[in-house]
Amino acid sequence: MQHIRPGRFAPARHFQVYRNNVFESLTNALKAVYPVTERLVGDGFFRYAAASYIPLHRPESGNLHDFGEHFAGFLSGFPPARELVYLPDVARLEWAMHESFHAGVGQPLALTTLSSIPAEEYGNLRFRLQPSARLLASSYPILRIWQVNQPDHAGSPDVNLEEGGVKLLVIRRQEVEMRTLSDGDYSLLSAIDAGSTLAQAARAAMDAQADYDLTGALASQIQLGTLAQVENEKKITGNPVL
Amino acid sequence: MADAIMPDRVDSPIPAKAGIGLRAEHYREVTDSLPTVGWLEVHSENYFGDGGAPLEYLERAREHYPISLHGVGLSIGSCDPLNQRHLAKLKSLIQIYEPGLVSDHLSWSSVDGSYLNDLLPLPYTEEALRHFAERVQQAQDYLGREILIENPSSYLQYTHSTIPEWDFLDEVARISGCGILLDINNIHVSATNHGYDAQQYLRAIPANKVREMHLAGFTVNRYPEGEILIDTHNAPVADEVWALYNQAVKRLGNLPTLIEWDTDLPPLPVLLNEARRADEIMEKAHALVA
Repeated sequence: MQHIRPGRFAPARHFQVYRNNVFESLTNALKAVYPVTERLVGDGFFRYAAASYIPLHRPESGNLHDFGEHFAGFLSGFPPARELVYLPDVARLEWAMHESFHAGVGQPLALTTLSSIPAEEYGNLRFRLQPSARLLASSYPILRIWQVNQPDHAGSPDVNLEEGGVKLLVIRRQEVEMRTLSDGDYSLLSAIDAGSTLAQAARAAMDAQADYDLTGALASQIQLGTLAQVENEKKITGNPVL
Repeated sequence: MADAIMPDRVDSPIPAKAGIGLRAEHYREVTDSLPTVGWLEVHSENYFGDGGAPLEYLERAREHYPISLHGVGLSIGSCDPLNQRHLAKLKSLIQIYEPGLVSDHLSWSSVDGSYLNDLLPLPYTEEALRHFAERVQQAQDYLGREILIENPSSYLQYTHSTIPEWDFLDEVARISGCGILLDINNIHVSATNHGYDAQQYLRAIPANKVREMHLAGFTVNRYPEGEILIDTHNAPVADEVWALYNQAVKRLGNLPTLIEWDTDLPPLPVLLNEARRADEIMEKAHALVA
């Protein structure tokens, strides 16, 4: 404080303006990424949570889009939010949408690429998901919660938590979209995302869902553009050691 | 000016007219309706993603408008090393979008790698002047082009400052060869908060260095001891600021002038109206001179 010149106000008042500005702008940055989370808890609670979060996770770059990454995890350990069991997963969904919005769109994998590969090599193929694809699984109906908390939602705002959980794919084409996934699809795409071969991913999908239709599911994910074109042909041809 | 990379685009130079900030809420409307306005300015850091919707909209906007890249996070005044990742991202944006102007602030915002997301004031000393000018030079050398430095709104002054802000800015421009982005609202806000004369500030600014002006709205914070103006960019340009802008145009000539509005964004027509008002002031001043 001794470095601040007393002016029209005492030094502490001048300093307070900056302190307020920093908290206000970072709180607004969180609100922009987490509008549904904010709506669920209200402005006062959200500000309280943000004020606790900000000193723990200060931005580490001049690009504010990186800020707020740990908010869902923070909320899951934030005692005042303990009773809102679904809140961290809703925040996780909003962060996935935020990342998806800022991610690039890769060339989708074309069926013709697949048809140029001998069928006996399929099991060893490794794919990648679109850069904008994010997978989420929650024990709570977070998609319904998100939907009824949109500003233009007309129907009832009530969600029955007994509805149960949901598995989701968040992906951007023109706009960011959310699609519900079957247990098999979720396991398949998660395994692909983790770098498994198609054979391993198929096994995971079958384990999760006995009646899983692998061929149909692959065709529909390729059609939706969930899988990215692999730039290096070698990456998808055969040899599992790359 | 060679704009050979993308022949479908309009030219790069920013005309001496009013422009508006392109913000996410208006991406679709601006790129669909292509309103009549001289140019667009964007916050560089909003386009640091590896792709993504913002870059797609910027590409569409760039086809029809000259673009200015305005930075809020290079933290030039900081004592941390200049952020190379930040500079590299900015350079790549410059190469892709060929902006007519590139700017950042006379301020700092990071310490030990932590960013405060605010434009914090520098002490105006000889030491800070050398430090700041040197870093502007480093940034310009790396980017391979002139950048503009903007006067910030400020809410405190340091006991050890010895140089008035206007002289500091003038010296930074002289030493580093950068241009000046004169924010008229910031002059009004700082002059009110610190009790100095906005006219004196305006008269001291070297006319040949100013390449762009900013106009924005502020908020009044009331305390028991009095009022402090906060540069919030959430309101129309105030009458006092329009009056100061009128004088600036007479003294500095017609210059690219941005209407900055960042929070509580109004419908697009409101922004365009503000831009029209700035254009009218420039047209009138020009008519008087002619």
